[in-house]
Amino acid sequence: MKTQLIRYILLFVGLPLLFWSLGDFHEDTVLKESLSVLIIISFSLMIGQFFLARSNKVFLKEVKTTKVAKFHKIIGYVFVPILVFHPFFIVFPRYFEAGIEPKEAFITMITTFNSIGVLLGISAWILIVIIGLTTLFRNRLGMNYRTWRVFHGILSVMFITVANLHVLDLGSHLNTPLSLFIIAITIAGILLLLKVYILKPKIAKPTK
Amino acid sequence: MNNSDSNTGMTRRKFITVAGGVAGLAALGSMGIYSGWGKNETELNTEEMMNEEHSSDVLVIGSGMAGLFAAVKAHDAGSKVIMVSKGRLGSSGQTPFAKGIFAYDSKTSEVNLDEFVAQVSRSALGTNNPVYTRQMAEHSLARVNELKEWGFFDSVLYNKPFCKPMAQRNIPVVERIMITNLVKENGRIAGAAGFSLDEETIHLFKAKSVILCTGAGGFKPNGFPICDLTHDGTIMAYQIGAKVTGKEWNDGHPGKAKNPAACFDGWGNMFERKPELTSVEIHHDLGVDMNYLAYMKGNPFKMGPPGSEENINISGGPCRPAEFSRNGHAGEPPKPPKGKRPPKKGGTPPGMGGNSVGGSSAGMAIHKSEGLVPINDKCESNIPGLYAAGDALGSYMAGAIYTQVGSSLAGSAVQGGIAGEAAAEYCKTVEMQTILPVKMNEIQEEILAPLKRESGYSPAWVTQTLQGIMIPNFILYIKKEKLMQAALAYIEELRDHHMPMLRAADMHELRLAHETRNMIISAEMKLKASIMRKESRCSHYRLDYPEMDNENWQAWINIFKGDDGEMKLEKQAFGSWPV
Amino acid sequence: MSIEKINGCIGCGTCVKTCPTDVIRLDPKSGKAIIKYPADCQICHLCRMYCPVDAITISPEKSIRVIVSWG
Repeated sequence: MKTQLIRYILLFVGLPLLFWSLGDFHEDTVLKESLSVLIIISFSLMIGQFFLARSNKVFLKEVKTTKVAKFHKIIGYVFVPILVFHPFFIVFPRYFEAGIEPKEAFITMITTFNSIGVLLGISAWILIVIIGLTTLFRNRLGMNYRTWRVFHGILSVMFITVANLHVLDLGSHLNTPLSLFIIAITIAGILLLLKVYILKPKIAKPTK
Repeated sequence: MNNSDSNTGMTRRKFITVAGGVAGLAALGSMGIYSGWGKNETELNTEEMMNEEHSSDVLVIGSGMAGLFAAVKAHDAGSKVIMVSKGRLGSSGQTPFAKGIFAYDSKTSEVNLDEFVAQVSRSALGTNNPVYTRQMAEHSLARVNELKEWGFFDSVLYNKPFCKPMAQRNIPVVERIMITNLVKENGRIAGAAGFSLDEETIHLFKAKSVILCTGAGGFKPNGFPICDLTHDGTIMAYQIGAKVTGKEWNDGHPGKAKNPAACFDGWGNMFERKPELTSVEIHHDLGVDMNYLAYMKGNPFKMGPPGSEENINISGGPCRPAEFSRNGHAGEPPKPPKGKRPPKKGGTPPGMGGNSVGGSSAGMAIHKSEGLVPINDKCESNIPGLYAAGDALGSYMAGAIYTQVGSSLAGSAVQGGIAGEAAAEYCKTVEMQTILPVKMNEIQEEILAPLKRESGYSPAWVTQTLQGIMIPNFILYIKKEKLMQAALAYIEELRDHHMPMLRAADMHELRLAHETRNMIISAEMKLKASIMRKESRCSHYRLDYPEMDNENWQAWINIFKGDDGEMKLEKQAFGSWPV
Repeated sequence: MSIEKINGCIGCGTCVKTCPTDVIRLDPKSGKAIIKYPADCQICHLCRMYCPVDAITISPEKSIRVIVSWG
């Protein structure tokens, strides 16, 4: 289990950090750089959620399903709010420096509809909020667990696709290695999920 | 007093001797990355240019502090107003970088108004126009209070507080249009014309009255945020017969030797501060003392702690009235312009700390000492209907030296208001004029000429060449007859053989072409006025005439275009209005 | 060299309007701000201070030869 965790952290935290450090984006204040790193890692861990699931057979060999589910949950509770609030992080440092007021900056930012990146961002934001709420209030939705799981999976694939496009368009700390890394792990994650729901039923019937 | 000076007393032999020194400079100027002559690779079709017409009672050109108050006060006095700007409201010219504004409060001030004016006059050695000095102080508090209401003092950036009064009054602001021509019909102003930076459109603004709030200008110097200011207003007014003054004076700002072009870095944290109020504090600053020091002592020239220049034993140089001697202000650094006081914490203004270089504001004179000649205290020019305010008006509010801290921004606000109200009054007495299509076509041809040339000189190259000729310390600041005549020969060459051959591939380069033209004419004015003024006073220093000459030079120099199209110069006695 | 990079631009166009020397333009294809005329940058930082998403990086060096009075 330990080695699996280390591997997981290296992949979804270590690698993006490495790519970030290779970029030449380090002229900003500590606050701004920290916020950027936090957003990058949060997003990377969101992709990582696809690997912290039933679909990840490699992982499940060594770690109990309940443990995996627990990790998935913790990471969701911690990092989904960060992504939900990350639009504010971009204007927040303006409280401490000269320039346009944070409120004004935020309004301009979310009303620039001629930008595809902003529209994608708003769409992704709505999707992640829906994912968050439907997870928190799962019991009140009246769905059985398996339907909810499919629902959660579909929403997640939609979210990660839209969010990827948003990141590729607007990610201010994006360099080629980081972009390639994000695309690669996203595709891998989505395929992993599709394998469970689309390919598997054709090969073998679910055991339960 | 009305003496003309033709500046033609140079023999050919003399010219060849002196020109050699400047020839090297001109060559240096061409060493930049720009190529000079070349084919015009334009993709624009000048035949498809669009035209747009606007109409108002008052047209305000420029969107800084003076423009803001000109528009607001003209509107409040009952006029239909349009503001047009090369940049953006509150975000172009020098206004965005001015962080100190003077307010004279008669209730709290220790000096009364008469004493204030007298003190400024003493520091200015008679060069100030006391009417405008007093007017600035008298109205400053009222303007400052209005600014307070609009949130000016709460914001580092001025666009929002400037938009507030404009939006409240529904005054249209047309941005990113460079005005190049003023239109005169039947001897009085009829409007202005220019072009858009974003679309292939020529704009004609018909107006009963025009207020130039176009700021000052320079030679796109390195280290001062005035690279968008090229005396545009002054030159277009000169072209239709307006009188221009103050071209011999200099703003003597030094820059930092390290990255001299980085004006943001050079000013410490000044650009990031909110504006502050200043009270009575009169100096005799920003002349060419440091230029003289560097000229005599050579490089590298390190600025020590404030006041240390007195310790360097050096004879001669610009004269400073004893009352305003730096000794009396030991421990206090020289004040930056526009009341930009040195930052309280962190950062130092240019020249303070580290090695200095000169000419960071090259081509600019002391605030409000250059620009259109006012014919009265209403900011009116000699062209009926044409007004100017702020740095575009040669009001001599502060004199030919930097006197009251923070008065530049206050003066722009006050003069903007005065000009706005005066223009509105004028509009009530006249009808809108018709501008004939023939005239419009002529102007349009003139505007578009650089775009239409199949090949020509790149404006950037000509600008660099001009900088190489004008900016050296021994041309612009420490003046001598021979070298100025030599430089003038070069500038006349640019005027006659480069100005008519400037090319432009797009609207941005078209702007550069017109700016370059304005800089060439400004350079000619500066040299001719400096050659004519055979004395030293305030920020004008002649190595060959180092003394003040009160017998002959209690006078300002006015420049105007003669009937023959030639540049003419005349004297106007201190304390008088033009005849 | 003066204005260096624009990362994470949303294409709102504020910097284009704000630049006193008309250095920045919106790219017609991407709709994002590009540094079109870097040689004209006066390093005043107004674009950076006005940018709502803090996307602009500026360095103090000038891309063309700097002419000064002495030094």
